[in-house]
Amino acid sequence: MPSRQTLTLSIAVVAALAIGPAMYFLHRKPQPQPAELWAQLGKYCVDCHNRDDLTAGIAFDKMKPADIVHDPEVFEAAIRKLRGNQMPPPGSARPSPEVRDSLVHWFETTLDAAADHAPKPGRVALHRLNRTEYANAVNDLFGLKVDVAALLPKDDESDGFDNIANVLKASPSFLEQYISAASVVSEMAVGNPHAKMDSRVFYAKPGANQNYYHSGMPLGTRGGMLVEHFFPADGAYEISLGGLARARYVEGLEYRHKLIVAIDGKEVYANEIGGPEDLEDVDVHQAAAVAKINGRFQRIKVQVPAGPHTVAATFVARTMSESDAVLEPLVPGGGEVGIIEGEESPLKIERLQIDGPISPTGVADTPSRKKIFVCRPSSEAEEQQCAHEILAKVARIAFRRLVTDEDLKTPLEFFATGKLAGGFDNGIRNALMIILASPEFLYHVSVPPEDRAPGTIYAVDDYELASRLSFFIWSRLPDEELLKLAEQGKLHDDVVLAGQVERMLADPRAESLATNFGAQWLQTRKVVEFVPDPVLFPEGNPDLNEALAKELQLFVKSVLLEDRSVLELLSSNQTFVNERLALHYGISGVRGDQFRRVTLTDQNRFGLLGKGAILMATSYPNRTAPVLRGQWILDALLGTPPASPPANVPAFPENQEGSAPRTVRERLEQHRVNPTCKGCHGVMDPLGFALENFDAIGAWRTKDRETATEIDSTGELADGTVVHGPVELRKALLAKPNQFVETLTEKLMTFGLGRSIDYNDMPAVRKVVREAARDNYRFSALLTAIAESEPFRYSTSPSADGDLETHAAATR
Amino acid sequence: MFVTKKHLSRRTVLRGIGAAVALPMLDAMVPALANAPQKPLVKLGFVYFPHGAIMSQWTPSADGKSFELMPILGPLEPFKKQLTIVSGLENKHASGPTHAITPGTWLSSVSPRISHDPFGATTADQVAAQHIGQDTPLPSLEVSTEEPIGGGACDRNYGCSYGATISFRNPTTPLPMEFNPRKLFQRLFGQGDTPEERKALAAQYASVLDVVAGKAAALQKRVGPSDRAMLDDYLESVREIERRVQKMEANDLSHIHLPDAPVGIPNKFEDQMNLMFDTVALAWQANLTRITTFMMAAEVSNMTFNQIDVPDAFHALSHHQNNGPKLQRLQKVQTYNTKIFARFVQKLADTPDGDGSLLDHSILLYGSNMSNSNAHDHFPLPAAVLGGGCGKLKGGQHVRYPDRTPHSNLVFTVLNRAGVPVESLGDSTGEIAEV
Repeated sequence: MPSRQTLTLSIAVVAALAIGPAMYFLHRKPQPQPAELWAQLGKYCVDCHNRDDLTAGIAFDKMKPADIVHDPEVFEAAIRKLRGNQMPPPGSARPSPEVRDSLVHWFETTLDAAADHAPKPGRVALHRLNRTEYANAVNDLFGLKVDVAALLPKDDESDGFDNIANVLKASPSFLEQYISAASVVSEMAVGNPHAKMDSRVFYAKPGANQNYYHSGMPLGTRGGMLVEHFFPADGAYEISLGGLARARYVEGLEYRHKLIVAIDGKEVYANEIGGPEDLEDVDVHQAAAVAKINGRFQRIKVQVPAGPHTVAATFVARTMSESDAVLEPLVPGGGEVGIIEGEESPLKIERLQIDGPISPTGVADTPSRKKIFVCRPSSEAEEQQCAHEILAKVARIAFRRLVTDEDLKTPLEFFATGKLAGGFDNGIRNALMIILASPEFLYHVSVPPEDRAPGTIYAVDDYELASRLSFFIWSRLPDEELLKLAEQGKLHDDVVLAGQVERMLADPRAESLATNFGAQWLQTRKVVEFVPDPVLFPEGNPDLNEALAKELQLFVKSVLLEDRSVLELLSSNQTFVNERLALHYGISGVRGDQFRRVTLTDQNRFGLLGKGAILMATSYPNRTAPVLRGQWILDALLGTPPASPPANVPAFPENQEGSAPRTVRERLEQHRVNPTCKGCHGVMDPLGFALENFDAIGAWRTKDRETATEIDSTGELADGTVVHGPVELRKALLAKPNQFVETLTEKLMTFGLGRSIDYNDMPAVRKVVREAARDNYRFSALLTAIAESEPFRYSTSPSADGDLETHAAATR
Repeated sequence: MFVTKKHLSRRTVLRGIGAAVALPMLDAMVPALANAPQKPLVKLGFVYFPHGAIMSQWTPSADGKSFELMPILGPLEPFKKQLTIVSGLENKHASGPTHAITPGTWLSSVSPRISHDPFGATTADQVAAQHIGQDTPLPSLEVSTEEPIGGGACDRNYGCSYGATISFRNPTTPLPMEFNPRKLFQRLFGQGDTPEERKALAAQYASVLDVVAGKAAALQKRVGPSDRAMLDDYLESVREIERRVQKMEANDLSHIHLPDAPVGIPNKFEDQMNLMFDTVALAWQANLTRITTFMMAAEVSNMTFNQIDVPDAFHALSHHQNNGPKLQRLQKVQTYNTKIFARFVQKLADTPDGDGSLLDHSILLYGSNMSNSNAHDHFPLPAAVLGGGCGKLKGGQHVRYPDRTPHSNLVFTVLNRAGVPVESLGDSTGEIAEV
């Protein structure tokens, strides 16, 4: 039956329910009685939610306090609406904050008690690996890094995440790509001594700055391109560079530049470009000279062993007195002249092409081959045994469970066919392909115990628990330790489980909580693609976008992985900058491309609200968007997202040519005059206004560019708290730590379970928050409480008529 | 259980004797008509551009046969005789979230259910694929030029599915649109270099499919009902690919000059758009598919168009606020899109196909599911039909229908002209007889 803990608890809960909800208030100061509170519903809510009007299908006049536990969907929605001050709607009579808090508290404690008595852990649908997880799994199996975006289709998103089981569907084109990926990956892993000539082209990001040193490049260089390429076999390859000299004037061509090509940091080719001779040649012979000069960097022949290698093509840096850097325009970060095509641009490398292999000679002992070939057959007789050993090891990790001989039957058949066609290695390659194409690899399979009636709750087995943990915390396959504990049947033990969570959080692989979970939760994935209006923001370029994204990632990582209180996400005075970003933020004394930790002195930059990545992701290319920023705060931080805009919103009048310009705030004022808009914008916009000192690319400003007036950063929270600027906004949010932590918990659980969190889950969410609160909201406490929660450790056996609906309903 | 005797026997053959022997069997399973030369059949293209059109610059002022093209459709002047512009259409099912359900309802005209799990309706291209797409290797091809953006193309109530594609295979399965030209090419023409290699790879592919199908079927028995439905999708996909592999085997590509496979996504958006259109033309020429959906930019695309001196992000610019210079720049982008499209039309016109050109045998619907992008209107929609349609299309006209005539009437008419035997589509009330 359900769970060890709940059985013992339930007796106490039954008693509690019999006494009535009032007993939960005993620890609090004077609390209104249930009857009194219920009367408040009549006073403030029944005007709309009654049996005649039936607004949103809810009639409180037909309900009584005992119905709270019977209708969690309605009352969880009520909690959210009350807490977010979304109900009663603006303009109607509203309860006092005290009454509102009492109502919320009463509903929550009542629902929580009922859930303790009868937990509803929900069920996760058959769950496919998404693109990120697939790439990580391939890395776990073979130590390979694959360009997954080139291999697999983008995953559909739901609830703000791309790992939600219900929407990860299969279609023919999806399946084709996964099968083709299996073939590509298995070939990369084993190598192919007969690899065909192929070409791959890399492009530099248009507009990226090539005037300075870039991390990862050989020291003493500036600009250029750095790529990682997988070489399928040992042999000769040709490297060609493009976008160097052009028929029109190229900035800096009058100087002699030394261009080098390096593989894994070791120089393999060097030649000169530029100088008086080249300049004159271009001047006189134009296109013919350009072809000749660029020809020095075409089809550079290099010998490369199989496997992944970095290829760098870059310029040797010159003294700043003979600077390669363009001096204009004088903007932070040395903005780019060549943005608009046709304008002059400095000497740089825009294209790097790798062709090969030409007459491959074999396959070196690549890291993936070392990982795969745990044995080497010395005779034909040993081949079968060795293949068995190799494939059993891979299949166990790939299927994340014990494998049987039955599981190995098909891979061994594919091994036999492959061996026949191309020898032992080819046999292994063929077998690996079929393992990677198997639904057992691509799907998390949760098989309910056979003897359970539909709707009963069962503990997920230890293998599934291992997978849940590893895909949650690492976004990858369970490692040896997790698999071993699952094999021994020990993982579900509370102490073991908590120990594993701690171990996993301390492991560098937990970085995915920042890069994968964090970026999705905070909606900053799109920052790298954000293109600010080049006229308004000449200092904007891809380097800035990357720096902003990197800062956020390092910041989130530092709070989570250093196991700090998650409230530090809002409050921390620590951040990470490189020279480019320091310039953007006005921090002095930071030199070079490396990111380093700094202690902020400017309070406006503290915590998430001061991070440029977020401020940029919530802006338009040409202006700030207080609406988007407000919406982001409501959704990502407060867990009370506004409703969607109604259909056919009329055109929004903004600044017209010829008339006096108005600030964004003034233009948005009309949002709040119109009663239809005001319902949501009355809450959203004023939150965003508090961040108006940050412009569309996240730089600090005190004046509005269009109106030349001082920025007014007066904002307001839904509960009426007035704030001036980001510092006060941050403090106001921190005044209600529970709400932020609860939102983060919901997001973590959505991501961790791979399904929507609905009203049935809210008691578990609140329990996690309560437990984390005892440990000052340290991240490990949050993570452990989630791992120990009912939705994470239990599942519900499916009902006969399909159970897709149970967890699909939106609560909001 | 769908693993038929036929499949099992093929697997046995493949495993037992080796791939080469199995091929004649694959051939034998292909309908004879795929090999025989035949009268060219109609090709159907649904070309969608996001963010609507400035209607005053789209809709001709005169109705009927004698009309002047307005600037946005100007690039189609050479094809005016095969062009019908239809005005007065509305798609009320695109209403709701600003952008998030606009693409996904263009070819269905059915309001999706409020749910993150997709639940809309089968789109016209897929209806056509079921009826007239079954004798080509690919029943349909879904192509775009950019990766879906998410953000504004997503919605809290509807998720991201309807913003990312204009094609739904069935109400719950959105079809991803391919934006990588290399992947598109390899999907069409296979990975091998020679016909022999392609055949060998196809045979290996078939054996992988058999195993995958067998495993999924075995798994299906062990999991719960809803998971079984998930696996149904999976198995249906396997079956679909098997069918394609068989058709691919039978398709004779010897008359097509195949260029090298593209190496990746071109740096310039214009090259990318042209390359994707070229590949579609090639697929039609090779008779690999007859039905294609094409998204010229992602919904809420923030692509910039510096090449035509428009540095603004597309979506931001589409909120032109009726500001003169912004309207001018937006009109430039919209005209530019038509210019790219016209290049594709020209290519079809230049490609011989039986007794005429590919264009003579094509029906192209060019339009958007939004009207005035500043207001997110869905009336009046920009819509134009182009091509000879194997003699089934009239062209050379501007047809004005009463305001708010369902857009689905035009989509339905297109299906009708293509010979797809359906009675209606979405909220359609009849056909646009003039087309």
